[in-house]
Amino acid sequence: MAHQAHAYHMVDPSPWPLTGAIAALLMTSGLAVWFHFHSTTLMTLGLILLLLTMHQWWRDIIREGTFQGHHTPPVQKGLRYGMILFITSEVFFFLGFFWAFYHSSLAPTPELGGCWPPTGITPLDPFEVPLLNTAVLLASGVTVTWTHHSIMEGERKQAIQSLTLTILLGLYFTALQAMEYYEAPFTIADGVYGSTFFVATGFHGLHVIIGSTFLAVCLLRQIQYHFTSEHHFGFEAAAWYWHFVDVVWLFLYVSIYWWGS
Amino acid sequence: MVARLLLRSAVRAAVTRRASPAVALTRGMAAGGIPTDEEQATGLEKKIMNAMKAGSDPFNMLKPKEYAGSKSDPHLVPSITNKRIVGCVCEEDNTAVVWFWLHEGEAQRCPSCGSHYKLVPHELPH
Repeated sequence: MAHQAHAYHMVDPSPWPLTGAIAALLMTSGLAVWFHFHSTTLMTLGLILLLLTMHQWWRDIIREGTFQGHHTPPVQKGLRYGMILFITSEVFFFLGFFWAFYHSSLAPTPELGGCWPPTGITPLDPFEVPLLNTAVLLASGVTVTWTHHSIMEGERKQAIQSLTLTILLGLYFTALQAMEYYEAPFTIADGVYGSTFFVATGFHGLHVIIGSTFLAVCLLRQIQYHFTSEHHFGFEAAAWYWHFVDVVWLFLYVSIYWWGS
Repeated sequence: MVARLLLRSAVRAAVTRRASPAVALTRGMAAGGIPTDEEQATGLEKKIMNAMKAGSDPFNMLKPKEYAGSKSDPHLVPSITNKRIVGCVCEEDNTAVVWFWLHEGEAQRCPSCGSHYKLVPHELPH
């Protein structure tokens, strides 16, 4: 099996990086085609290819790690660094949108009425649904920690229950936000207020959906006995991502919903 | 296949009536239902786990052992062939590493600081 004198994983050749790159090409050019020629075919094709790539690539990683034992301690360490670096890059991504928000809101221009919120904008009450959303995400942070401890202590039933609860809370947040978006008295086209609000909260919502999906995959894996009480990095990565999503929300809530109202 | 075997033993564990409800901390599946690495690790991960438990480090994961480097206590350098490259950092914080091939047989000395190095051949872990 291991005819190597080192503990690292020399990965077998894989087509998924290529299909992923092709998907990125089709999605971006497809976006341009949609804008200019009103056809969504190319973009949809790119999206399907992206979904297939993600499914097959991550499936292969699960096969290599859980079923074939390639994820030795140094390999796991590398995966940890990878996830941390990825989350860090996401932090910078959001930092940009916060920069945009503060740039516009700290010195509101005369066109906005020299005030923030701008003239004519009725912001959402931070102590209504947004506060509930804050409670929901904080609670989900607690439940995901409960899941982690359950896994480490070998408690299968509790792990499954708390992970399910975490995902349900995530879905509840998404549903509440969707309703807020529908009911909001302002739109993305309402000046820089609308732009900063919907782009920042919109990307956050997308990350909640991604995080919930990641947790759901972990739930399926946990049900199928993939995780052991010592080795469950896939779950840890999902939990880190989830906590990151929660922290971004807290900043969004304090900056845009509360201070910005 | 592994999942089916584990599922069968989980069902059996769930169904058997135990005389005393003692918590078995070692058998993960019998206790809370989450397997341990002991039960489920496979492939290279399992091999490394077992080797670490036995105190050996066939894949050079740990820092090399400290030796005096003298004639009677040379640095022992494991190798899967009959030679290996050694990089000697003669004094702590030296930025110039002294590289040389260490061959099987008598101990060799670092051309810069004179510490002794001896090759210890072993089998490729398989």
